[in-house]
Amino acid sequence: MSATMNETDLAGVTPDKVVDARGAACPGPLLEAKKAMGSVPVGSVLELWSSDPQTKVDIAAWCGKVGHELLGTLSADGYERVLVRRMK
Amino acid sequence: MADQEKLVIMVTHGPEDPELATIPFVMAGAAVASDVDVVMGFQGEGCRLVQRGVAETVSAPEFAPLAGLLDSVRDLGGKLLVCSPCVKSRGIEDELVDGAEVCAAARFVAEITSATNSLVY
Repeated sequence: MSATMNETDLAGVTPDKVVDARGAACPGPLLEAKKAMGSVPVGSVLELWSSDPQTKVDIAAWCGKVGHELLGTLSADGYERVLVRRMK
Repeated sequence: MADQEKLVIMVTHGPEDPELATIPFVMAGAAVASDVDVVMGFQGEGCRLVQRGVAETVSAPEFAPLAGLLDSVRDLGGKLLVCSPCVKSRGIEDELVDGAEVCAAARFVAEITSATNSLVY
């Protein structure tokens, strides 16, 4: 799945939950996202922090598979912030 | 709605090969996270991975530690099936982790033939 928001709009999004999975190896960030998604209502935005550059690719595939919306990815200092909206 | 997908992952490597012991759990983790039903089948030295206290000793470079992956797979609904003669020959049938279920060949066959796909490691 490709991102649905551009970086400018993405920077203005306030997540409902932030999950810090920095330092976790694959599939750690994905598993953290899965677990966190179950704790927020449908429509909520989850922000996943990961220092693994493959995470954004993995999360994109995951969103396409399970039906969540990949809002996009923002670069931070040494990690990336992947924003996903829970759709189901 | 499509039928529920199921992936069977057969594990035949144990602590003697940390990478090939860990990769099946990586795949299982990604699958349960993706709402795919997962059945892991442990045969041969793979059985050692569900012997209590062993997963904590397995960690491959650049991979997540195996114990945490096992917990995640189990917490997210993955099933752990263990080959009956394999655990008996090793004398570990009473030392398996919570959730591990000892079974025989026909159960593995039933799980595999009813799965969307299967992987063998």
